[in-house]
Amino acid sequence: MPIIIISSEDPAVEEQIAARTAKAVGFQTLGPEVLPAIAAKHAIPEPKLAESLGRTATPWWRRQAKGRQLSLACVEAEVLDRLAPDNIVCWGLGAHLYVLGISHALKARLLPDPARQIEALAGQRGVSPQKAGKLLEGARLKRAQWAQAAFGQNEMDPSMYDLIINLGQIDPDEAVGTLTTAVGYRKFQPMTYSISSLADLALAAKVKAKLLRTMNDIRVQARDGKVVVTSKALQRERRKKTAAIKSLAGEVPGVNYVEVHLINYVIRAAAESFR
Amino acid sequence: MAIITISRGSYSMGKAVAEQVAACLGYTVISRDLLLDASTRFHVSEIKLIRAIHDAPGILERLSHSRQAYLAYIRAALTERVRDGNVVYHGLAGHLLLKGIPGVLKVRITADLERRVENEMQREGISAQEARDIILKDDNQRRGWTKSLHGVDPWDSNLYDLVVRIGALTVADAVSFICEAARSEGFRTTDKSLQPVKDLALACRIKAELVEEFPTVGVTCQYGNVIVYTREKGTGGSRLHKRIEALSKEIQGVFNLEVHSSENFPADAV
Repeated sequence: MPIIIISSEDPAVEEQIAARTAKAVGFQTLGPEVLPAIAAKHAIPEPKLAESLGRTATPWWRRQAKGRQLSLACVEAEVLDRLAPDNIVCWGLGAHLYVLGISHALKARLLPDPARQIEALAGQRGVSPQKAGKLLEGARLKRAQWAQAAFGQNEMDPSMYDLIINLGQIDPDEAVGTLTTAVGYRKFQPMTYSISSLADLALAAKVKAKLLRTMNDIRVQARDGKVVVTSKALQRERRKKTAAIKSLAGEVPGVNYVEVHLINYVIRAAAESFR
Repeated sequence: MAIITISRGSYSMGKAVAEQVAACLGYTVISRDLLLDASTRFHVSEIKLIRAIHDAPGILERLSHSRQAYLAYIRAALTERVRDGNVVYHGLAGHLLLKGIPGVLKVRITADLERRVENEMQREGISAQEARDIILKDDNQRRGWTKSLHGVDPWDSNLYDLVVRIGALTVADAVSFICEAARSEGFRTTDKSLQPVKDLALACRIKAELVEEFPTVGVTCQYGNVIVYTREKGTGGSRLHKRIEALSKEIQGVFNLEVHSSENFPADAV
């Protein structure tokens, strides 16, 4: 059975529609309630983990923080692992940004009613509707920057989703009805290839989370137990780093073969040549 | 019964979706034939209208008012056609030309670039690179046009009620979602909900009649009470006054027609 991934700029909308859709189709929900378990398993403080998904910081700040990259990689690995059994409605974990190319995952984006959002924010902060509108626009921009920095995806791009439903005019009940109908279509049923693609994504994420504990700039791809790791290294460090990557990645269950591609660390090499 | 606008990129299967939605609901389809309407009614060549609604304006065009006039003609023709509801419009910028009308179901159909390239290759018998270049150029033109005239990006999902990507979802699936939404309470049209459409149609008609001589006027209409806004002092000069008097006799449905002089026009003025 399929996976439904629901995303929205408003977490309350995400949670509400995810819960109602899950109830309608008899699926389990997977949401931020799993964060304490992920934090405990990876020995990362829970607030840090939640903060990495907080979607507020600037991209530059995000990119610089190795700890946050690790937190996101751990969330990604655990979420992908939990999605394997299917029949799940996932929300609030940024899954729309890293569950890519999986044909049995229905991705839906829900746009909250802007008038209600503005009214609620204006009441909550005691500001004018115009000011509330600007604050919402700013928050939207920051979230887009966060998505770009954290997962290299443009969350505003409509081609990322199968369906986008605007709750400004479309009733939430109807949105739930549309999602439950869509998920019943044959194209969203799991097939051998899509199941193995999800397993590959999960394996790559696990290897990435493992490697990010000791190194930076890691990209991982996996296929049927074969893992390709791409990173940066100085010429003199290449042999040592390759061995370290092979050893660490090899410890991850399911990895049969590790290939390492190291790109020359041009900036660091240039900086060291001036010493 | 609803008014549905379907926005689409070229070769995104939006035309097929629009036609099947219209067939399913028993609605009328409006597309480029609208330009013929506008061309006949306002005596402007169709090619000029096509350019006005398709190409991004050049520097000189931004200074002249000709494009504004052509758009006013197109908008007048479109609002006239949708005033009774039960229509699916899948021409350019329907969601923007019908802006301000409550209860219009605004849909966007998207498709992966590779799928669109494949469609164009099959239809035109050209290479993948040529097809890709044509599609990207067309997309850029449409984006440029919408951004320059309406200040919004047509790719922004917030402009629509429903965005469906043709890929995992098929044309038939999209049709079924749209029909279901159109039948829902929020999009059901009544005499009361059609009144703003009729008012907009009247305002657009008057604007289209005035735009060539008075390109900067704004027009609002409520229950047949029309106000023409001008930035000129007094009542905007005797020429405008005379023209408006003639129009109030000429156009059916005008209950009262006034000229107001104001620096700032209302936001909903055409």
